[in-house]
Amino acid sequence: MNGTYFYRLIASAALLLAFAGCDNNPHPRPLHAQREDGKPWVVSYRAVGEDPRSLDPQFSYDTLGHGIIVQIYESLLQYNPYKTDPYELEPCLADGMPRRIKNEGSGTETYEIRLKRGIYFHDDPCFPNGKGRELTAADFVYTFQRIADPAVECPVLSTLQEFIAGLGSAYQHARQAGKFDYSRPMEAITVVDDHTFRLNLLRAYPQIQYWLAMPFTAPVPREAVEYYTGKDGRDLFKFHPVGVGPYRLAQWSRSRFIRLARHERYTATRFPQNGWRSSQDGLLQPLAGGSLPVVDEVQFAVIREAIPAWLLFRQGYLDRSGVGKDVFNSVVTAGQTLSEEFRARGVRLYRDVEPGTFYSQFNLENAVVGQNLKLRQALSTVYDQERANAIFGNGIDIKAEQLLPPGVIGYQPGFSNPFRSQSLAQARKLLAEAGFPNGIDPKTGQPLELTLDVIAGSAESRQRAEFDQMQFQQLGIRIKIEENTWSRFQEKQLRGLFQLNSGSGWNADYPDPENFFFLFYSKNVPPQGSNYTRFSNPEFDRLFEQMATMDNGPERLGIIHRMTAILVEQCPVIFTHHPVTFTLNQPWVPRLFDNAMLVTAKYTVIDPALRARKIREWNRAPAWPLWTLGGLLAAVIGYVVIKARRSAL
Amino acid sequence: MPIWISNCLILAGCAALLVLLRAFLFTERSRRALNRLRRDRIGIVCFVTIVALLLCGVADCLQVVPRVTLLDYAFRNVPREEGYSAPLAPTTFNERDPKPLNGRHLLGTDLLGKDVFLQTLKGCKTALIIGGLTSLLYIPVGALLGILGGYYRGRVDDFIQYLYSTLASIPGILLLVAVMMTLGKGLDRMAIALSLTAWIGLCRLVRGETFRQAAKPYVEAARALGQSHGKIILHHILPNVMHLVVINAILGFSGLVLTETILSYLGVGAPVGTASWGIMIDSARMELSREPAVWWPITAASGALFALVLSLNLLGDSLRRAFDPKAA
Repeated sequence: MNGTYFYRLIASAALLLAFAGCDNNPHPRPLHAQREDGKPWVVSYRAVGEDPRSLDPQFSYDTLGHGIIVQIYESLLQYNPYKTDPYELEPCLADGMPRRIKNEGSGTETYEIRLKRGIYFHDDPCFPNGKGRELTAADFVYTFQRIADPAVECPVLSTLQEFIAGLGSAYQHARQAGKFDYSRPMEAITVVDDHTFRLNLLRAYPQIQYWLAMPFTAPVPREAVEYYTGKDGRDLFKFHPVGVGPYRLAQWSRSRFIRLARHERYTATRFPQNGWRSSQDGLLQPLAGGSLPVVDEVQFAVIREAIPAWLLFRQGYLDRSGVGKDVFNSVVTAGQTLSEEFRARGVRLYRDVEPGTFYSQFNLENAVVGQNLKLRQALSTVYDQERANAIFGNGIDIKAEQLLPPGVIGYQPGFSNPFRSQSLAQARKLLAEAGFPNGIDPKTGQPLELTLDVIAGSAESRQRAEFDQMQFQQLGIRIKIEENTWSRFQEKQLRGLFQLNSGSGWNADYPDPENFFFLFYSKNVPPQGSNYTRFSNPEFDRLFEQMATMDNGPERLGIIHRMTAILVEQCPVIFTHHPVTFTLNQPWVPRLFDNAMLVTAKYTVIDPALRARKIREWNRAPAWPLWTLGGLLAAVIGYVVIKARRSAL
Repeated sequence: MPIWISNCLILAGCAALLVLLRAFLFTERSRRALNRLRRDRIGIVCFVTIVALLLCGVADCLQVVPRVTLLDYAFRNVPREEGYSAPLAPTTFNERDPKPLNGRHLLGTDLLGKDVFLQTLKGCKTALIIGGLTSLLYIPVGALLGILGGYYRGRVDDFIQYLYSTLASIPGILLLVAVMMTLGKGLDRMAIALSLTAWIGLCRLVRGETFRQAAKPYVEAARALGQSHGKIILHHILPNVMHLVVINAILGFSGLVLTETILSYLGVGAPVGTASWGIMIDSARMELSREPAVWWPITAASGALFALVLSLNLLGDSLRRAFDPKAA
């Protein structure tokens, strides 16, 4: 054996040994094996489809970024995990709920907010000695200044400036000066003392409390924004968040994973003392009042494709998963329960109704559909949402008959919309009353032709468009489909260049009817707002203005129901569905609450021992290929030996 | 446009195509080549396959009543279902609550409950329109520019070479997608987009052949007899390069059908509601990961595409062999 051959053999053997060290675990090792108190260091493994574009709370407005930002930043208020019908707010960074002060005569209002003491920012090199300092009222002044800073491009500034004093003028001043002057006092906020400030509103706006629970108003430290400028090898602030939340950003390996580690000095909230169902007592009682977060580390693996993520969930390497369309029938049974295979694995299935409503919109400024109420009612009546749901939504979405989704004050369970009956006969009758008997336009003698604008970005969206076309064409009319890119679709909505479009919808920023009805308020017609249907109804407007500034109560509820009735009667949209999602949790991750508005990981509980056992069990390599290979090898060796002996003889 | 006019126009177009083919086949060379082709079994099978598929396309162009084509009429008894159903299955596919079907479907039904066999046949219409319309646009341009470049040479040839070299330097699919994004969706627009680049190959071939033919004694003789350039091109050059045009048209047809499929698959080709094999493949590809997989729409569309493209390519080869003087 010559030297080269020998070294190649050694290298091959080393390579084989290296392969033996491989496994299919996609996650990096946890930061620590155990906590300082000796308890095991617990990690939660999750997946995201791509890297977030920004983790700046004043800028980010997408679901993906939101899911990570809420772990790092916290706001003055948060949603109570156990109050969902209706949703209810509770203090988070604030020491008690904001005190509402009505300024008699001026019509303005002020909210006085006291901060909890002993809340610290994450330890970070941007602070002196790398130690996070205490949160003060000045941080909220800076936060609201950032909202008004044109350089930050806060997407909700246009809404907030309608209600918060001085935001709009600060923005305009900065636009003219070319730079935001952070030394100028902010009219929006009056600092009372280090831990108390007042938020000044231009008029009564009870919904401001919901905004105080959103990441847009979460405090950011000025030191971090000024330190992380992208210069001298430092990251940009949007990629290096520093907050007061239960987790700090420990590592972000682009396109691979985001690692969050517990904020050691987190004290803002503790585990709830009560509020859960009695059946959860055994699980939650030991946690009641305990410190948060429960889990020490949260890892988000960046997995772009759905199938690898699903396979990792099946192998136990992800703690949670959605139920994709392609695997739906193998996971969920006809009764919307978990299939036998997954039940045997101990997996749990959860069904959540999203606080949102989807619909098709009419352009009421259009000469054909805008002026003809009966035509709109006919089109609304004929659309078969149950079939659409069965084809495209696995039959799980809730058919929408009203604007408000379940969980929002004013939602009427069992409400029956007379123009969503899906009755072809009734729709034909309405169409005849609209002046188009059997879908024929008497002026031309030809079928009435309407144009349906859709976003056709994927095979499914094109199939959905074809389905919509089939539905409306049952009436004998013709539907011409106009395919658009997302941006073109938005532009057409803004400029009113459509007749009928589908695939629009609204997910609640906050669970108040005002956040839905504003879509039909006449003063919100683009470019002022998002009333894309151009709906204008004096009674509706009057009720909206009245309802928007009222506190919840029977009178407000009555107004909300009347507004719902107006929308149903006038048909500016065809309500389609309230989205429903199914989530699977591994047996080691019990779900502690059902609150779609709360996506924080601080309450997550994991049983790491069970996870380790299940992963071993589910990923055990089958022994039969090894035995087969061994047998074959033995047979070959035996054959060669026998042959060699015979030849020797 | 009234139905009878559109039907007459379609039939007139088919008749014109047959007349043109007959005129082409009238030459002695073509007749000899066809005699050789008749002995080529593969060529005959491919020819029959192509004609059958294209006839389906024509049948889907002719309207019986508004919006009902001859093909729809022939399949009028095939019911529409609620959703997916496997080939010849009695119930809808793998639904949590399977429903009995209104009828049996040879190749099953798709997501919207449409008969996959009928949709596959309807895909022939898109192939026919794209292949036919684009050929009508690019063949005259490619042949004319090729002959002009090869015959006149000099600056005319330089300009034509510059034109096709520039166009050919842009990646094909990228250019097509860009043109489609500008023009918008529609089969007519797709034909225009495809014809922008399709003429280049034909032009190069014809130019080369024209070079060769223009140097031959019969062209010299025609010039010596004082015939005009136009007459020489029309009566002497064109008939002698026509076989290349026909072979290229047949091979090019398969390329056009494939490109339409790719564009539709990418979502920039045929509009919503058009029966296209590309759309069928695009719609069905995600369904392959279902448990169990929905395999029949993608199989049917791919099968039809495969049959047409393979037949066209093999027929093109057979024609090339038939026209090859060495083979004779």
